[in-house]
Amino acid sequence: METLGYLIDGFGVALQPHNLMFALMGAFLGTLIGALPGLGPANGVAILIPLAFTLGLRPETALIMLTAVYAGAMYGGRISSILLNIPGDEPAMMTCLDGYPMAQKGKAAEALAISAIASFMGSLIATVGLILLAPLLAKFALTFGAAEYFALFVLAFATLGGITGKNPVKTILAAAIGLMIATVGIDSTGTQRFTFGILELYEGIDFIIAIVGLFAISELLFFIEDRAGGGKGPMVVNKLKLSWKEVREIMPSSIRGGILGFIAGVLPGAGASLGSFIGYTLEKKVVGKKGYFGEGDPRGVAGPEAGNNGASSGALVPMLTLGVPGSGTTAVLLALLISMNITPGPLMFTQNADIVWGVIAALLIGNFLLLLLNIPLVGIFVKLLSVPPKYLLPIVTMVAFVGIYSISNSAFDLYFMVAFGVFGYFLRKLEIPMVPIILGLLLGPEMEKNLRHTLDIADGDWTALWDSGLAIGLWIVAFVGLVLPYIVGPILRRRMQAAAGHGNQTD
Amino acid sequence: MTLNDRIFGILMLVLAVAYGWGATQFPEPFGGAESVGPETFPKVIAVVLALSSLYLIVKPDPDNAWPKGRIALELIIAVLVLIAYTLLLEPLGFILATLLAVGTLCWRMGAAPVRAYVTGGVAGVVVYLLFTFALDLALPLGVLSVLEGS
Repeated sequence: METLGYLIDGFGVALQPHNLMFALMGAFLGTLIGALPGLGPANGVAILIPLAFTLGLRPETALIMLTAVYAGAMYGGRISSILLNIPGDEPAMMTCLDGYPMAQKGKAAEALAISAIASFMGSLIATVGLILLAPLLAKFALTFGAAEYFALFVLAFATLGGITGKNPVKTILAAAIGLMIATVGIDSTGTQRFTFGILELYEGIDFIIAIVGLFAISELLFFIEDRAGGGKGPMVVNKLKLSWKEVREIMPSSIRGGILGFIAGVLPGAGASLGSFIGYTLEKKVVGKKGYFGEGDPRGVAGPEAGNNGASSGALVPMLTLGVPGSGTTAVLLALLISMNITPGPLMFTQNADIVWGVIAALLIGNFLLLLLNIPLVGIFVKLLSVPPKYLLPIVTMVAFVGIYSISNSAFDLYFMVAFGVFGYFLRKLEIPMVPIILGLLLGPEMEKNLRHTLDIADGDWTALWDSGLAIGLWIVAFVGLVLPYIVGPILRRRMQAAAGHGNQTD
Repeated sequence: MTLNDRIFGILMLVLAVAYGWGATQFPEPFGGAESVGPETFPKVIAVVLALSSLYLIVKPDPDNAWPKGRIALELIIAVLVLIAYTLLLEPLGFILATLLAVGTLCWRMGAAPVRAYVTGGVAGVVVYLLFTFALDLALPLGVLSVLEGS
């Protein structure tokens, strides 16, 4: 029952008025970020990190706010899926299938409310799962030595592309680029590496600058290229008429979706997209002929929504307990932790217990806030959604500039950010994923430390890296994670596309 | 066409070789060389990068089209605006630089010029006031600092 005690302490942290206020602000901003097309959760959290800094927030407050943003973004993604048949982010794709037909039948408000309730259930289940699983995993992770950690980092990279990823070699290449950037600067023995005598490079390249550049600036360039500045026409939402009976009907779907989503979120390489996909497919199987999936079945909205929210909370488990994120957004949250001088990993549960449990409690509170925000205020979000990108993106870019500038008041950092943005644009054109680069930047120093440590103890014997059963197991999982996408990836991708294509035909 | 991946692969291969060579040039750390040093990890990365670039050269993916003509020009303009924004942020001050940068970006993305620059101006003033009074952080005022004294 030690967990319960920690959790109560966590509530003590999360319920402090200013933390509650920032959670509310984060939930609001997050929903907005998730709703706006082209501003995915990773992107949104990245832009807000510098602001958390400049506000001089305490670590737990900053983390609570950004976790609320993260949770909110998952709620927001569904708004444009339902109203416009355009997913706000990838995991929201499956919500289009039944959400949009519901909206076309004049039940947009019901679809939005159902998806909010399902999201809430999914997050709630997954947060409970997180509370139960995280301390156990953290305890287990304490037995890890340097070699195991090194293998774990390799595993994180190998599975990052996910089972549905296209080209695993591009993931590795991207990871190598990220790790390379991470080696710039003065290393632990005081040796200058790749600094070329430039003073600004001595302390290494700030990953926050790289993250904001790669995400925000490249997004702007992509919008310009697609000439997508016009935006969409006005949207109307009918008056909400939802009975308790309807809410009860979607409960089983939400619970199933939430549990599946959580599992998908915890496992390396699965992620929220797969969570919502499995959530939807399972619903279709379970309900069978009685359903009318693809034509606006509320259960088809609830299943995937609960799945993707469950997965996003589940993804916090490896990030908090092992310090190894499994998705882009959790990687960005890890960036925040590292830059707040908190060493992520199992020790965090003992050394920074107040922060960890404060964040977990905030996740629970945040979900109630989000449910409260999302049902009555959905009209406001819909209005904001119709702000055309031609105004929105320049302003977002400006916020990114202000944020980065206010960290160090140096124009040098801004040039770096723009350069990373242009670099990110080219990478996206070449379909090189950016998340491994960021993960490489973040994990590089730790990875090198563990490698050196292992080799130092073993006196330069490389076989020490796979000397224990645990390490061998991790290496095998990493290898499977790398090879599996080649075998199952094409099949899964085709199925997801077929499902999405089927939905579009029934428009 | 599969040229993009090949060219990128070659560039990365060159980078891997240069980076790997660079790693062998580190000065010996104080206290003498050991079995593992500052160069060990970079060497491993260089090998990984070299191998994955070779794969990309041998088995490239199909290309995405590059923007041409006007759109390419618009992209270059956007990047130039961002660079100019950085250059002008301190001398012109935050509000004026934002007016110009956000305004130009909105305009180039298809907004009517007047509305675009009004958006830029309003955004600049609002964020400046927010930072100065609500968050107590100084953004450069630049040429507008003459107003401050009065």
